[in-house]
Amino acid sequence: VTRSRLGVDVLSALNLVGTLTKFLSLAFAFPLVLAVLYGESVWPWLASAAVGGGFGAALELVCRGHQRIGVREGFLVVSLTWLLAAGLGALPFLFSGEDQLSRPLDAYFESMSGFTTTGATVVTDVEALSQSLVMWRQFSQWLGGMGIIVLFLAVLPRLRVGGRQMFESELPGPELELSTRIQDTARRLWLLYVGLSVAEILVLAGLGWTGVDPRMNLFEAVAHTFSTMPTGGFSTQARSVEEFAAASQWVIAFFMAVAGANFALTYRALLRRQPGVFVRDEEFRLYVGLLTLGSLVLLVELWSRDLYAGEEAIRQAVFQAVSIMTTTGLASADYNLWGLLAAVVLVALMLFGGSAGSTAGSVKVLRHLLLGRILRREVDLTVHPELVSHVRYNGRRVQGQILRAVQSFVMLYVGLFALGTFLLVADAARVGLDLRLIDAVAAAATTLGNVGPGFGFAGPMGSFAPFSDVSTAAMVVLMWAGRLEIIPVAVLLTRSYWRI
Amino acid sequence: VRIVVIGAGQVGSTVVEALHEGHEITVVDVDSERLAVLGDRFDAATVEGNGASRRTLEEAGVRECGLLIACTSRDESNIIAAVFTRRLSPSTSTIVRTTDEEYLEIWQERYLDVDFVVSSERETALAVSQTIGVPAARQTDVFADGQVQVVEFDVVDGDVPTDSALPLSEAATRAADRRAPRGSIVGVPLRDATLPAESKVATIIRGDKIALPHGGESIRPGDRIVVIGSPGAAREWGRMVCGERRVVHDVVIYGAGRAGLATARMLMSQGIRVRIVEAFDDHARRAADELPQARVFHSTGMDAEFIERERIGEADAAVFTMRDDAKNHYAATLAKMYGVPLTIAVVHDAHSVEVFERAGVDVAINPRLITAEEMIRWAHDPRTQQVAMLEGDRYEVLDIEVKPDSTLLATPFKELPQTGALIGAIIREGVAIFPHSDDVLRPGDRVIVFTESARVPAVVRAL
Repeated sequence: VTRSRLGVDVLSALNLVGTLTKFLSLAFAFPLVLAVLYGESVWPWLASAAVGGGFGAALELVCRGHQRIGVREGFLVVSLTWLLAAGLGALPFLFSGEDQLSRPLDAYFESMSGFTTTGATVVTDVEALSQSLVMWRQFSQWLGGMGIIVLFLAVLPRLRVGGRQMFESELPGPELELSTRIQDTARRLWLLYVGLSVAEILVLAGLGWTGVDPRMNLFEAVAHTFSTMPTGGFSTQARSVEEFAAASQWVIAFFMAVAGANFALTYRALLRRQPGVFVRDEEFRLYVGLLTLGSLVLLVELWSRDLYAGEEAIRQAVFQAVSIMTTTGLASADYNLWGLLAAVVLVALMLFGGSAGSTAGSVKVLRHLLLGRILRREVDLTVHPELVSHVRYNGRRVQGQILRAVQSFVMLYVGLFALGTFLLVADAARVGLDLRLIDAVAAAATTLGNVGPGFGFAGPMGSFAPFSDVSTAAMVVLMWAGRLEIIPVAVLLTRSYWRI
Repeated sequence: VRIVVIGAGQVGSTVVEALHEGHEITVVDVDSERLAVLGDRFDAATVEGNGASRRTLEEAGVRECGLLIACTSRDESNIIAAVFTRRLSPSTSTIVRTTDEEYLEIWQERYLDVDFVVSSERETALAVSQTIGVPAARQTDVFADGQVQVVEFDVVDGDVPTDSALPLSEAATRAADRRAPRGSIVGVPLRDATLPAESKVATIIRGDKIALPHGGESIRPGDRIVVIGSPGAAREWGRMVCGERRVVHDVVIYGAGRAGLATARMLMSQGIRVRIVEAFDDHARRAADELPQARVFHSTGMDAEFIERERIGEADAAVFTMRDDAKNHYAATLAKMYGVPLTIAVVHDAHSVEVFERAGVDVAINPRLITAEEMIRWAHDPRTQQVAMLEGDRYEVLDIEVKPDSTLLATPFKELPQTGALIGAIIREGVAIFPHSDDVLRPGDRVIVFTESARVPAVVRAL
């Protein structure tokens, strides 16, 4: 009775979500192989795959015959898929009997943090995890980086209809049309993503094999590539990449910067041999400019405080600026100890985020650029009310609809950020947790922006474990909404979405 | 010569009026009344029908005629008429009138098989630009990746085209005062003139005649000149032929139609700040989209509050290109009242020019008249038009490599024989050199040569 009154075909959406969950369960094959290789228990992986595959198949069965996926259903599919993917990813944590992740909410937080490429962890001793479990954490980031829907768009013909809009919820950005067909675009982006990942693995492993970095081996190279390319932030090491040699840190910094740039530009530059696209792109220029500025401020702060000298100071400043701005969250040092100015700079970089069309999260440079131009136009208009001027990007006029979307996104983002901060502060007061204001601000910014570490106990070498369950749940929602750029989630909360 | 004129409107009648003595003219139009009026006034045959139809064209006798002038107000009809004529009678020359600059550009890129295209918008913009005192290049051809330009200029007449029977408004007097004698170039024999270093005068067109630019010749007001030089020198020429330091920095254009936009584009290309006032929202938006450097206002521009706030009166000049003559008139008067020193109106009605100038507008430009004038000039002598564009096929600009056994090698330029061919530039190892009298050609040089078509084989042989 109610279904006929709904404006959304829920059963069709669930049907598709079931299919996606079913196929996503295939991802357990990778840690399963590792478990066999390292002689660890294979049961958590088999059980997870069985539960995931079974659940997906059951959902498909229940909703069989419903195939209507339009724009409206797309929002539901995207939002539910990400909730379920995180649930699926939490299963092995629970089945493995690992003490640090034995509580379902903690396991769900860890998994959501992985898929959304946040990299915030509730684990306190990562080196105690089994090899296959550690690699699953890393792998979940890599799957989520370019987008789960985008992945299936590339390989599943079923998503041809309605895929464009879901694609845009996961990977919004200008100039992303690499082909007239959205499936081709998705394929090319994933191809590039895989290609860059292979390149990074080879370079890092090469550093290990040649003895430049004795700590680096194939396992670590793969694990950290799975953290770099999706701008995730999990590490296999308690001290993150501080463990590794300077050369490895530079390589990781370089690939983080690449992952934070628009993939469509990288695609054109590398595969179509048009390196000029980078120079011409206004967002890329601002992205590089902000990275440079952030690095310089950090560098001055490091020098003036006498924390590091020479190459190390430059490396620490650049690595941390790149890592935070691209919303990766890997740490080359415990920046908790760098002082308040550095903390403020890092939080500011968190709010900038990477480029549109990258695997990075947060507000993104392009939106800041457009918002700046919108504001400048508004100021102009107060003096010259009759002035007709268009906001331009790369010389072309930007449609009013896009400008409105940018404004409402930024407002929603700031609102959610403020709400999250307030919740964390209030909840900390409730349970008597020692949380400074800057820590709460950073924790909200870092989860909403899918960055990873914050400050204080949740710093780069710390853990989110001390937060109460309420705060943990709130941060799960922030990560989820942040990854999907809020709008698809916000849409679900409106009555007009559900009604005819 | 037999001439077929398509279109009996303002342009068509002006063309017929100028050419009917000495030529056999047939006029084609769909409107029988207009044809009757024209047929009564002048000795011309008339054919009623659509000029873009093959049957009408044949009826009008394009197979036997020497020149077709397609000057209806519809661009596409004109082009189709010319294209059909080219098929029916390949020996007939064709002139097309267009309002859209785009067709002019397409023709200049040689995608349109027509002998001459006149764009009303471009002519209007050129006329405005010259009135303001900055002659713009009529045409620029680019060689050697833009290092060498062949540019055509009109040298501005000294007098301001205002009815002298009326007392000049104060502003117009000021405008006339600005036209100081341009000592360095105009009126001075070329051998004594201080020309921009990296340039040469290729030819001087005076009325229907072409003067060779030898040392004793001088550039006079009203001449059309062709210059070969570097982009910087070309800009300097633009400044020098107008004979004064540029005093116009800020121009307000009323109306963002095609003529307004073409004018804005031309003025901005000369570094003049342009503000556009447009009453229609859609037009204003399109203007802002197409011209990011201009400031576009969505306003009628006629209310005092707007004029005060935007300091319209402070502008150095105002151009009125709205569709309605009466509105242009009112707005121009208003602008004058607020202190704009130079007002230029684009008028549409044949009699408006006089009305406007009587009413105190400094300059009135009728696009149809200047379009017709341009066509008539070409009809009189195709050679004098668009020399740089080589359309008269009497002149060519060659870009050729010097053979290792050329007889001209190692001879200083001042000793080269004077044959009417001019080496404008040498491209040596990818860099453009503008030769002086002591320079010599070397094997492997590429040269940009301006020459009469008849001499092309001789030039190629010598090099």
